[in-house]
Amino acid sequence: MISCLLIQVSRNPQGLPICRESVISGESIQVGRGAACKIHLLDHRVNLLHATMKRSEDGTLYIEGEKDATININGFIVQSAALSPGTRVEIGPYLLTVEPAPDGHDIALSTELTEPLPGQDAAKIYRAAPISLAALGVSKRKLGFALATGIFFVFLMLPLLPAASSAFDKWQATLPVTLTESWNPGPLSGGHSVFGAKCSTCHQRAFQSVSDDACAGCHKQVAKHLAKDDLHARVFKNVRCTDCHLDHRGKAELVLHDPSACVTCHGDIKSKNASTALANVHDFGTDHPPFHITLLNGKNVIRARQDEKGRLVEKSGLKYSHQVHLNKKGVSSPQGDTVMVCKDCHEIDEAGTHFAPMTMQKTCQQSRCHELYFTEPVEGVAPHGSEREVMNQLREFYAKWLAGSPVENMAVCERVGKASGVGNSAKRALDCANELARKNAAATLFREDGEALECVMCHEIGPTGDYDVPWKVAPLHINRDWQPGAVFSHSKHDTVNCTGCHDKMNSKTSTEIAMPTIEKCRECHIGDHSAKGKIRSVCDSCHRFHQEVTRQIIAK
Amino acid sequence: MDMMRRPNLLKYKNYRYFKASSLLLAIAVAAYALIEPAGGNSYGGTWLGYVLGIISTLIVFLLMWYGVSKRHTPGVPDRRQYHNIRRKHEDGADLSDFFARRKAERRTCPAKQSWRYGGTLQGWLSAHVYLGASLIVLASLHAGFQFGWNVHTLSYVLMLLVIASGFYGMYTYLNYPRQITQNMAGDTLDDLLLKIAELDELARTRALGLPDEVNALVLKACQETRLGGNFFQQLNGSQRDCPTALAVQQVQQLSQKFIHDDQPKLMRDLYSTLLHKEKLVLRARNEIMLKARMEGWLYLHVPLSIALLAALIAHIVAIFFYW
Repeated sequence: MISCLLIQVSRNPQGLPICRESVISGESIQVGRGAACKIHLLDHRVNLLHATMKRSEDGTLYIEGEKDATININGFIVQSAALSPGTRVEIGPYLLTVEPAPDGHDIALSTELTEPLPGQDAAKIYRAAPISLAALGVSKRKLGFALATGIFFVFLMLPLLPAASSAFDKWQATLPVTLTESWNPGPLSGGHSVFGAKCSTCHQRAFQSVSDDACAGCHKQVAKHLAKDDLHARVFKNVRCTDCHLDHRGKAELVLHDPSACVTCHGDIKSKNASTALANVHDFGTDHPPFHITLLNGKNVIRARQDEKGRLVEKSGLKYSHQVHLNKKGVSSPQGDTVMVCKDCHEIDEAGTHFAPMTMQKTCQQSRCHELYFTEPVEGVAPHGSEREVMNQLREFYAKWLAGSPVENMAVCERVGKASGVGNSAKRALDCANELARKNAAATLFREDGEALECVMCHEIGPTGDYDVPWKVAPLHINRDWQPGAVFSHSKHDTVNCTGCHDKMNSKTSTEIAMPTIEKCRECHIGDHSAKGKIRSVCDSCHRFHQEVTRQIIAK
Repeated sequence: MDMMRRPNLLKYKNYRYFKASSLLLAIAVAAYALIEPAGGNSYGGTWLGYVLGIISTLIVFLLMWYGVSKRHTPGVPDRRQYHNIRRKHEDGADLSDFFARRKAERRTCPAKQSWRYGGTLQGWLSAHVYLGASLIVLASLHAGFQFGWNVHTLSYVLMLLVIASGFYGMYTYLNYPRQITQNMAGDTLDDLLLKIAELDELARTRALGLPDEVNALVLKACQETRLGGNFFQQLNGSQRDCPTALAVQQVQQLSQKFIHDDQPKLMRDLYSTLLHKEKLVLRARNEIMLKARMEGWLYLHVPLSIALLAALIAHIVAIFFYW
């Protein structure tokens, strides 16, 4: 039998203890939450039956925890322990302290709820966690200002730094990611990407647009649009390089293919230069004037509009019939009748724009055509060259011939009246050779009458009165560039037959110019708009702004 | 559909700002399509690009000004003021005075009365929404659809994020107030919390005499059931393995086990208490979630707007510094 004085301690609001005593007794005393327990600890953290107080065989009192129940004696977790005054037993939130036993009792126990459940005020549990976003205490604006500060640092301050010092600018340009990279609106065009990391190469002054001087710093050889300096300065006073050359457009070209800038002046060209001979133009497809053909008139280079038929006469000095050479049945040659095509004579040059200059040897004497034969008194072939060269060649030929068999050949000299006379025989032989050369040249090469053969077949020739070189061949001026102010690529047009544009099939004389007219071009090319099956063509499809108009139209 | 039949700020004054924004967009798109400057399409560097850029910037400033001035509208909660008072009343008591004062203030300036410059708050918000949405088109045309890894595109992307968060906010404003009303059915969150606390007490009292397993479940349900929480927990509005739901489920199973015990009535009572609590917990969570979602988008909208302003300034300085 255990008799126990139970002192239940509670606290008033000031924290002072209030004790309530009661006496319990039994063979053993159960401690737990259950109603059957003599020490009734009403808390969820206490088991229904938590521990039992018992008397051991030697008479001492001890407490034994139930299975799965934890008791804590003087700070140590144990399963059972003897109870002596001062022992502190913690069961759940309760502290049981063994007090000195008063008379008549085996033991005195004070119980106190030391750790009341924090959730005694349940509403507080739920208020412990924030129940609104506002309660989280996060400031939207502070978050925003933090972001803004980061953005200002990376995207404003860092890119501005290189502008402060050129040495720093140079250094930062070597970094894998440059500080100004975030300001770059787009990749630079090919050539400019070399200095892409150094913005100040072009953007030389802050808050000022790129100046023409910045461009001219590198591009020193750019041709002016107008030959007259004062006119150029006046007309292009307010025009900047960057009006037409826009960078940071990546693979797109640096040059704007935009006709509107050209039309600004050329739409009313007289307003810019009252004395100009140019006509107004707004669009290739609508009001582009007829093409001008640049050609020689005597020694002068002239420009004639294609509708001025009377002026469009080529005076090249060459006698030539395209009709004969392009005869579909063929033209007679040492190999028999041969059908010729344009490119047999007109070879396109490497640039694909013009044709290689034609020569007698390469062009006319191919396949042994147009060999310069002479026949009297022996056969030979004369070279194609200057008159003096031809005559010297002939003299040399006859001198050698006379020296080869003097006795027989001198008979020929008698026929020309040079077998006898003053001087020794050598002098007479030379005189004979000269005379033979002169006579035979007159009879065959420089023959002016009868059949148009040899020189006169192609050239205009006339007498000089000079004994050594009695004939003069009129020089040739074959036009190589009819439109030197325009850009035209023959190689890009090779899908079209030559005669599709150049009407030469029936051309009998070389005075006829067969340059295509603007109407011909407009069959495929239209102006500055798109249309199905047509090619959009703007000013710089044919013209170059920076091209100096050359009058060099004859191949040198 | 039901939503669209009632008057709302999208339909303000018979779509006044929808019409105005549409007109603005129509002009901008037509100009972009018809005006073909040198070098192809317009972009930021052409005169049309500059015009579109200036208009877009002005709209951004106007929209941000709305946000700033809205803070000083009587009747619109000023969170800083709320926090200061809240901090003084840590225990959560005696806020009734503050709320009563705020309610009174709200009555002085209803949304439909004149607010700023002769407009109503509702009108300004309607304009804010439509002008903000039109920025998508205006800024895209301004950029000429050219984008890259630079501060210019950063501004554009930030702007899109701000608008996207705004769209979500618009969605919540149109849908959630009704859901909140339905969910709360006249209660306030404080009412619910008090009721839940009462039910907790009741459940605990009822569980005291029940076996330890049941007791542990109830205790856990009381102590570990969480309402609200951090940013994402509030937006999510649920608790994984919610102890209350778990208790309901397991008490039911345990009641089968203890059916022959002498406490079937206690178990039944506990079960119904927990069930009732679970219902209230779900409602409270729903309330917190809906409110959090109605507010949460602003935690993107406002900071990103400020970031956008910074990026926009950097963009403009960059453009004119290296003109």
